[in-house]
Amino acid sequence: MDTKTKLQGIFRQVFDDDSIVIERATTADDIDGWDSLSHMNLIVAVEMGFSIRFNVKDVRALKDVGDLIDIIDKKLAG
Amino acid sequence: MIINGQYNIGHICTRQQCDLGRGDKVAMRWISQHMELHDYTFRDLDLQSNRFANALQGLGFQPGDACFTLLPKMPEQFFSFLGILKLQVVAGTLFSNFGEEALLDRLGDSRARGIITKKSFLKKLTRIRGQLPNLTTVILVDIDQHQADGVLSYPQLVREASDQFSAAPTSAQTPSVLHYTSGSTGKPKGVQHLHQSVLSQNRTAREVLQLTKDEIYWCTADQGWVTGTSYGIIGPWSLGVTQVHFGGGYNAEHWFNILEQEKVTVWYSAPTALRMLLREEPELFTGRDLSLLKHIFSVGEPLNPEVIHWARRTLGKEIYDTWFQTETGAIMISNRPGLEVRPGSMGQPAPGIEAAIIADDGSPADDGEQGNLCVRPGWPSMFSTYLNNDEVYRQKFRGGYYYSGDTAFKDADGYFWFLGRSDDVINTAGHLVSPFEVESALLEIPEIAESGVIAAPDELLFEKVVAYISLHAQAEYTPELELRIRLYISNKVSTIATPQEIHVIDKIPKNKSGKIMRRVLKARYLGTDAGDTSTMEED
Repeated sequence: MDTKTKLQGIFRQVFDDDSIVIERATTADDIDGWDSLSHMNLIVAVEMGFSIRFNVKDVRALKDVGDLIDIIDKKLAG
Repeated sequence: MIINGQYNIGHICTRQQCDLGRGDKVAMRWISQHMELHDYTFRDLDLQSNRFANALQGLGFQPGDACFTLLPKMPEQFFSFLGILKLQVVAGTLFSNFGEEALLDRLGDSRARGIITKKSFLKKLTRIRGQLPNLTTVILVDIDQHQADGVLSYPQLVREASDQFSAAPTSAQTPSVLHYTSGSTGKPKGVQHLHQSVLSQNRTAREVLQLTKDEIYWCTADQGWVTGTSYGIIGPWSLGVTQVHFGGGYNAEHWFNILEQEKVTVWYSAPTALRMLLREEPELFTGRDLSLLKHIFSVGEPLNPEVIHWARRTLGKEIYDTWFQTETGAIMISNRPGLEVRPGSMGQPAPGIEAAIIADDGSPADDGEQGNLCVRPGWPSMFSTYLNNDEVYRQKFRGGYYYSGDTAFKDADGYFWFLGRSDDVINTAGHLVSPFEVESALLEIPEIAESGVIAAPDELLFEKVVAYISLHAQAEYTPELELRIRLYISNKVSTIATPQEIHVIDKIPKNKSGKIMRRVLKARYLGTDAGDTSTMEED
């Protein structure tokens, strides 16, 4: 399963919405309920799902799903 | 403002503005989350809300029924809200991040007959619909045709409805807006307002927010919050003011682009958002032309002096903090232009409002003495009851005063200074969270035996939700359980209620009656003395 597909499953779990389809350009404005607090849930869920850890700088740099996929892939490769 | 005894808020904000010659004036500059612009005139507002009123009437809605919106900020939020009111149906607004338990409590207690929402929220609604026998009508704004299962399409409804509707003469005492508010115990309470509330919202929009017909005004509050209806809809539109509404969330660059490009003259926001701006890189603000921005106001939690000093230094602007509650419906105490700002103070009572600090024995507190923040009843936007809970409503009034539940003191110059809540309600980012609701939801998680939830100070949110839990004997606290807890609270109650910290302890302190001793948990968190623990249950 590629990163995007796995990440989509995490999004669906966190936002309780099976219809969510993510793209690299998807931002918080495109998903109902993606606010600063649910963002923390998302980060925790992604860390757990991919067995990685984000630092504060990583989280602050995230502008869209594409950024998130890139950081995940980088951490998995490292 | 009241013409021929017509108090109908939907009428006053739309048809009346057209009758006053403002039909072609822009009522709402809508800015989508992708920064696309669309202007709606007061005539557009009138016709769109007429269509929705007709649609609801066609569905059999009657004055006094309750109909809710569960929507993010979007044009249909405004059209439907005004249309509901035109029909004298009670308009309830819900935060779109509410979970299913929160929705069940509110829709059930109000016996809501209808709800307008989006496809993405239908799943949580479907899970509770069987427990809501009165909820006959579900309308989705993002489907083009009615569904076979009875779920209705907003576009189809308004397409097929007439754009002509005259609101029936509506008395001052007719129920209008319903917001739910959380207490420290029990279920959330439905705060009922009346159409006459427009008098207070109109007056404070003029005299506190200083709105004139020439302003470009932006209120960032969500319509699920009383600020979002009182000052994001009713106050400004009752004055014929052009409002900017933005469909996106917090984004400092977008926000400042909007302030600059839309030539916003009065801006009403919240301390948490302002504190987030304070943390942004200073370059974001340099070179901005905010010369047309006259006033910035804030509401929700106390505005810390640091933010006021930052705004003076960075933006060259004053921020005026205001105070009110769901129950008061309109600003009661405020800083405002013409009144010296004392950073950290709530300001002074709004025109026509008598506020006081009352000691626990019912006597007026001396200047500088902490007491209960009270308001003399009688202002038009005062809530008329807690729905189905008139006894608790009556308990809020004693000795000729409304007790707000906040504690404060007044200085010798008549400025009020907020100190805290007199109950355990958590004010996080301006939203009141009931510890009881979170504790109850936590207990639904099989591993959790006991729970206690408190407010803890937070630099950004003012207060954060902190949960203490004890686990059943065989359960183990793991990262997976923590995530499950977070998601459970988010999806059952709301993201706002999600604990920022979860602490596992052996036993939740309770008194001999079994009541959770939250003050003991708070003292434990803060590392302070818990005080008298003689009533605490022993092992």
